[in-house]
Amino acid sequence: MNRQQSDGPAVFSSWRIFSHPQDRHCVAFHVACLAAYCCAFWMYQHPKLVGVTGPWSRIAFVAASATMLGWISGINVGVNFHNHSHRPIFTSQFANRWFGRIWAFSAGWPSFFWEYCHVTIHHARLLAVDDWTLPRQNADGSFEDFRRYLFMHWPWRLMKHLWLDLTARRNLRRRSLRELVIFLALWSIPFWIDWKMAVWLWALPHWIANVWVMGSGMYAQHAGCVSKSDARPLSHSNVFVSKFFNLTMFNIGFHLEHHEHPRVHWSLLPELHERLKQELIDGGAHVVPYGNHRAAWLLAGNDARKKQFAEQAVGYTSNR
Amino acid sequence: MSRLPGTFLSRAGLAFGRSFWPLLAIVVIAGAILWGPWVSLAITVLAVTAALRLL
Repeated sequence: MNRQQSDGPAVFSSWRIFSHPQDRHCVAFHVACLAAYCCAFWMYQHPKLVGVTGPWSRIAFVAASATMLGWISGINVGVNFHNHSHRPIFTSQFANRWFGRIWAFSAGWPSFFWEYCHVTIHHARLLAVDDWTLPRQNADGSFEDFRRYLFMHWPWRLMKHLWLDLTARRNLRRRSLRELVIFLALWSIPFWIDWKMAVWLWALPHWIANVWVMGSGMYAQHAGCVSKSDARPLSHSNVFVSKFFNLTMFNIGFHLEHHEHPRVHWSLLPELHERLKQELIDGGAHVVPYGNHRAAWLLAGNDARKKQFAEQAVGYTSNR
Repeated sequence: MSRLPGTFLSRAGLAFGRSFWPLLAIVVIAGAILWGPWVSLAITVLAVTAALRLL
């Protein structure tokens, strides 16, 4: 793929801070997320200013803020930091390491742990029995119940698997411990300011981010899929082609393309999708016209809703 | 020359679009100063419902 064609004018070719000029949008997203947290914290400390006059209005403020913060944190780490874990966004290794740490902590993760789960486990073992990042599989190969995966996976199953994996080898153990200490130092900051505020506007959003946003995303991206084989090389991931979804979600909808070519920059995935379109159609890839959110809604429902998810997007049906 | 405003608009649209969700979150949270916590909660419920049905 010609990078110059898709990245804009040649003026960016001398860019030195970012590995790719489009990566500035990743930083903007993360800074906006941190600003949203700061805004919510400040307003929690000034209740009269926001019309909080009693317990019910406080519940309304916390419910609105925690939901929005959880939603954006789920995207910020599950999609935005995810891109960084495949292709670090800065040219400096030091900046990559430290920005990663102050990135993943905003959804309750040490950056190294998240990278380990995603790259070392999920990408390397996609849909195999030892890919413990995905829902467990029933005897017929289908995923376990949507709700069961959401509520059992984070943090319970993850903690168990991470403990077993990261304590198994000495070098991993040492690095994990260092990263965990750095994470705890950063993650505890809101608790030092006001522990009640931290529970409602820091820990609760992180639970929403991991369980509802990242959990449902992982489920939808691979629901109904089978591990890669010669017979079914393009049935390991689903493709979500909603333009608005992909615009606002760093093109994560092109998930099959991402798993096939994880080193391709996120901004180039729509172009890659167009190039591979016929191959996807011929290979029987499952393509839907919406994004992860609606897919999760359908997969959490009854058989009729699940059947809707199984339908193929118009224009992606093979004539063979 | 005529390409310049178009390029600027498309870049600005891309930048805004990619940060749409955190910007919406800031509007909902900070907007409580103007319209109070109940309206912010109503906007949140509407946004989540719309996303689950449409996106």
